[in-house]
Amino acid sequence: MDNGFLSVLATLLTGAETALKVSLGAAVIAMTGGLPLALSVVFTRIALVRVVIAVYVEWMRNVPALAHLFVLYFGLAAVGIRLTPLTAAIVGLGMVGAAILCDVFVGGLRALHVGQREAALAVGLTPLQSLRFVVLPQMLRLTLPSIGNYASQLIKDTSIASAIAAPEIMFYARNLVTSTFQTPLIYATAILLYASIVLPVSWLFALAERRLEARR
Amino acid sequence: MSEFLDTYRTYLPEWWGRLCAAVGVTIELSTLGFALAILLGTALVLMIRSRWRFARLAANAFVQFLRAVPLLALLLALYFGLPSFGVTLSSFWAGATGLGLQGSAYVAEVLRGGLGAIHRGQREAGLAAGLPPHKVFLWIVLPQALRIMLPPLLNCYVSLLKDSSLCALIATDELMLTARAMSSEFFLPLHIFLLVGLFYFAIAFPLSMLSRLMAQRLSRGRRSVGVV
Repeated sequence: MDNGFLSVLATLLTGAETALKVSLGAAVIAMTGGLPLALSVVFTRIALVRVVIAVYVEWMRNVPALAHLFVLYFGLAAVGIRLTPLTAAIVGLGMVGAAILCDVFVGGLRALHVGQREAALAVGLTPLQSLRFVVLPQMLRLTLPSIGNYASQLIKDTSIASAIAAPEIMFYARNLVTSTFQTPLIYATAILLYASIVLPVSWLFALAERRLEARR
Repeated sequence: MSEFLDTYRTYLPEWWGRLCAAVGVTIELSTLGFALAILLGTALVLMIRSRWRFARLAANAFVQFLRAVPLLALLLALYFGLPSFGVTLSSFWAGATGLGLQGSAYVAEVLRGGLGAIHRGQREAGLAAGLPPHKVFLWIVLPQALRIMLPPLLNCYVSLLKDSSLCALIATDELMLTARAMSSEFFLPLHIFLLVGLFYFAIAFPLSMLSRLMAQRLSRGRRSVGVV
């Protein structure tokens, strides 16, 4: 059996599919969770809501993702809730992501001058319209760099899912090492594979950012 | 719920000592990693700001590359891959080195941003007043840049602290590995991993808050969208 660079790469690429699934799944949860959380933090007057969200965000952000994954995968299994490794990884990284994006969006909203919203309301837009057409587009533009950082962080973090046996890139790499012992080649290939996924993503965000800057 | 807490009451005396010992290793590991990150990050920034095109290119490429590689891959390569080249690191040093490399890219960005944020007029004024260049840097540029850099550097430390949990996967005897060992010993994974989360939180959260407070003091007095 030939175990050159290409065959190693082929094996690791089978894990790229799972890595992609985890990234996309987690990103969807993070976006759909993070935005409502951020809007609640910024626009609610109910102190309890803010406190609950703050506790969630701080817990998610100040505890390692690995601990979250272990709680979801091993912890919940012990009380009868069995998640597959893939589900646990998506839910875990997604919940962390929602907290990160909540902070990012709150930062973006707070960076917008209050006059933006006041002006939108003054010209007769409803609060919802002012949000949809004035506040959110500007907030997205402001936070694009942070969202880009988050995206590349997320792709890298999918590697952690190998610790709960989700069959992604590092999982295959570690398996391959125990069966072929070509340790340096395999890990170097894994590193290159991640770099070749993450770098284009961050360049894409940088490009989008420059486009938006140019249009202003 | 009370049953859940009772379990803690039963086992905590037994767990506490072991977790506290492990937390010491976690702090050592992340502090050492952070020190390496500062050293390497400073070297990278010196290269990025140097006159030589090649040094700038190399340092920028290195930073970009490091930022695109997961820490876990670095750790496994350092711990399992390097011995093939005759370099054997203990799991602790492999962990610290991996954290240092990962952190250095971030530190370099922070330092570059902080130094870049100081208006060039500051430097020019210092030079015009007759101070030699190194004193201008040390007494005029650096103190102002440090104010800007401190909050993100603190965040970097918090990141490294959390990331040090990955060193469990190369068998560094830190908090997360201890937790895994305990979880297979006591069969109470939910209790143990939540408790371990609390240990990380107890260190990371105050530091995060401190960082945010410092950042807030830097940008006071702006009204924005929303209430308060």
